Amino acid sequence: MAALVSQDDKSKDLEPEVNASAAVLPTKKGRVASKDQLSPFASVKLSVFLMCLMALTILIGAGVPQESQGGQEKVFEVFGRQTAEWLVRLGISDIYHSPWFLALTATLTLNMIVVSFQRVFPKLKLLKNSLPYFRGQDILKLPVHHCLTLTKADEQTALISDLSVRLTKMGYKVKAEGSKLKGEYGVVGRLAPSVTHVGLLTLLLGITITSWTGFTGFQPVLLDEKLNFSDSQHSKLWIGSLPKWQVRVDGTRRENYPGGQAKQWFSNLSVVDDKGKVLHQGEISVNNPLTYESVDIYQSSWGLAKVAVSFNGHVRQLDLRPMGEKYACFLPLDQDTVLIMSLASEGKTLRVFAKRREWQAPKLISEIQSGKSIKLGDVDVVFEKAIPVTGLQYKKDPGLPITYLAFGIIMIGVLLAAVPHRHVWVALEESRLYIGGTSRKAKVGFERSIENLVEKLKGSFTLQEQLDQGDQANV
Amino acid sequence: MSDFQLYLTNTAGLSSVASFWVFVASNGTKRFNSIALKVANGVMLLGFVALTVAIITRGIEAQRFPLANLYESLLWFAWATMGGFLYLCRSYGIQQLGWLASLLAATMFLYGSWLPQSQHDISPLVPALVSYWRQIHVPPLIVSYAMFFLAGLSGLLNLWQSGRLRSLAFCVGTIIAASSAIGLGTFSKVDTQWLQLLFVASSVLGPFLAFRSLSVQDAAIEQSKAAKKNAEMYDDVGYRCVAIGFPLLTIGIITGGLWANHAWGSYWSWDPKESMALVTWLSYAAYIHLRIQRDLSAEKLSIVSVIGLLLTLLTYLGFNSLGFGGLHSYGKFK
Repeated sequence: MAALVSQDDKSKDLEPEVNASAAVLPTKKGRVASKDQLSPFASVKLSVFLMCLMALTILIGAGVPQESQGGQEKVFEVFGRQTAEWLVRLGISDIYHSPWFLALTATLTLNMIVVSFQRVFPKLKLLKNSLPYFRGQDILKLPVHHCLTLTKADEQTALISDLSVRLTKMGYKVKAEGSKLKGEYGVVGRLAPSVTHVGLLTLLLGITITSWTGFTGFQPVLLDEKLNFSDSQHSKLWIGSLPKWQVRVDGTRRENYPGGQAKQWFSNLSVVDDKGKVLHQGEISVNNPLTYESVDIYQSSWGLAKVAVSFNGHVRQLDLRPMGEKYACFLPLDQDTVLIMSLASEGKTLRVFAKRREWQAPKLISEIQSGKSIKLGDVDVVFEKAIPVTGLQYKKDPGLPITYLAFGIIMIGVLLAAVPHRHVWVALEESRLYIGGTSRKAKVGFERSIENLVEKLKGSFTLQEQLDQGDQANV
Repeated sequence: MSDFQLYLTNTAGLSSVASFWVFVASNGTKRFNSIALKVANGVMLLGFVALTVAIITRGIEAQRFPLANLYESLLWFAWATMGGFLYLCRSYGIQQLGWLASLLAATMFLYGSWLPQSQHDISPLVPALVSYWRQIHVPPLIVSYAMFFLAGLSGLLNLWQSGRLRSLAFCVGTIIAASSAIGLGTFSKVDTQWLQLLFVASSVLGPFLAFRSLSVQDAAIEQSKAAKKNAEMYDDVGYRCVAIGFPLLTIGIITGGLWANHAWGSYWSWDPKESMALVTWLSYAAYIHLRIQRDLSAEKLSIVSVIGLLLTLLTYLGFNSLGFGGLHSYGKFK
């Protein structure tokens, strides 16, 4: 975010010339603005503070059950009446819709936009700026530096040429001016802040389009019934429209593993217009939605909703309750006796139990296959059929392509951030060779790479390390 | 689970324990120090190779990508921890991180081995997990968690090498308290509200006291140039780990959003676990901003990386073991 980003804001390691280019920011007109001229909202400290506040808020939201997910009853169940009332009153049980969270999101968004345009994007202009060649004394002020003495003066040209080749092989883009070299590595890493912020702003655009024009919803639909979009949810500021067509559930089933656990749920859907004409058909399952006119229909859940049973010719649809892997309904016969009907997910065999108060467990009375009947006293009981329900989630998301594009850009941006940006300077003055550089990341690796380079040079040329580098640097 | 796979997993687990003790023993001898370190690294490498083969054979045996429950994710975590350390060791030549990394891997093996047999067995996938998105979404997250743990452990070593022993003690105490809460939440019947309190209280109090104690510095260590250089190195190692972990976490969160949108039509549902992943992301985004702005010293950043470790622990294991609900309950077994 703001600072993935402002890597070069305080290049304290660098020599004054480098700092001079980094501590000031070019404006649109090409003038250079100091940091004092930046908006207070362009503060990276503010970014960090807001991110911490946001993290804390979400942490609370993650720890406290949210009304939007488990309902208010869940909050009362977990915390008890007294505490739950306080949580509801303070908005903590619905924190993601609280004025506090919305204000925090708005402030962080504003901060991100201002930081992007005042701090991050102007830095792209600095990419064009070429850093100067350094003198030996300048190189000695760099965090990583070596000073070596060349014993044979006739090796000078070969040494510079060799160094140029070696640095190029190490991935540096090398430029030479007489006996001075400068090399830059990982310049793409400097693009990371800008790319990431472009991604975040694009994401903002995608979410805004979705919020203003998209809708979403969930509806459990029984077999042969239709899904309509009348109960869909959308934002208050909405300029979209709902489809006039509906979705009919022609079939739905559950596929099991050999052990009986659910493997997959399927639903056969038909898109029908208001006259019942089929416009489109398809089968959906979890992770395989159906799309029609940019509306996606998802298989979200599955179950048996009702069981149709006839008692002496009178058909009744009894509501089923999920009981682990099974579904059951309860029919109180008198004060002490309950008739229990149980079905497995296949819905082919109805098991009938009786439970009396004095019995420890229900007793199995009979098993009825689908379409068959049994006699219970004077009552002729026929198991007509099990009626499944399929949970259909739907949504229209016109901002989706932009949101996906934003995701891609953000991923590229954070990957670029891992590329270390390094500078190396070389100066050969009289018989002294100065090598030094800076790296914002992986400093130890950079230091070692320079040490390796120096060691290889010592093997090829008559070079001797100066041991009093620190003293020289203070001169 | 086949005997061969069990043998490989046990080899990896024992290797992590063995390398831990060899790393520890290397500190006791100056004469054989370098040999001991090489042996410890070799044992760690052996464990890493064994675990790699174990994960592959588990995938072949299960005929699916072997990352579908808590036990399998722990194997991946241990694999990433060992691999991450071997990479860092090769890049930086660091050794002291070795005993912490092997201790972490061994702890994860132990935690995994104590899980019920149903977790070890190869079981069929629930419908929501039957998707190619599983292998895209989960591995980057697990590897990022391992890298954040290594960053936090590097932070501990930075505090040690910079002589902030009191701050170090608070940080270590906090990690032990938080880990104990996770362990008790997983394997005991202690009321989860008390464990949540233990985790949260220690995570708030420990880093706070660690920050307050930064002014207390061991005089002998402060004078040591070698210790100072090592402290700088561990600071750099920690940042390197975050620099690798952060993009992976970002990719994991984004691909999770893409999967959720593909499967349920919503990128984000404020599920506790995905919210926690966002909290972790925000905390490391703040860490990176703080680091680049250079407003905090290396020691303070080390404590921030320990806070990041605690948040990662809460995201990875805490939300399932400490009784929080949500859609990401595939790791639950109670």
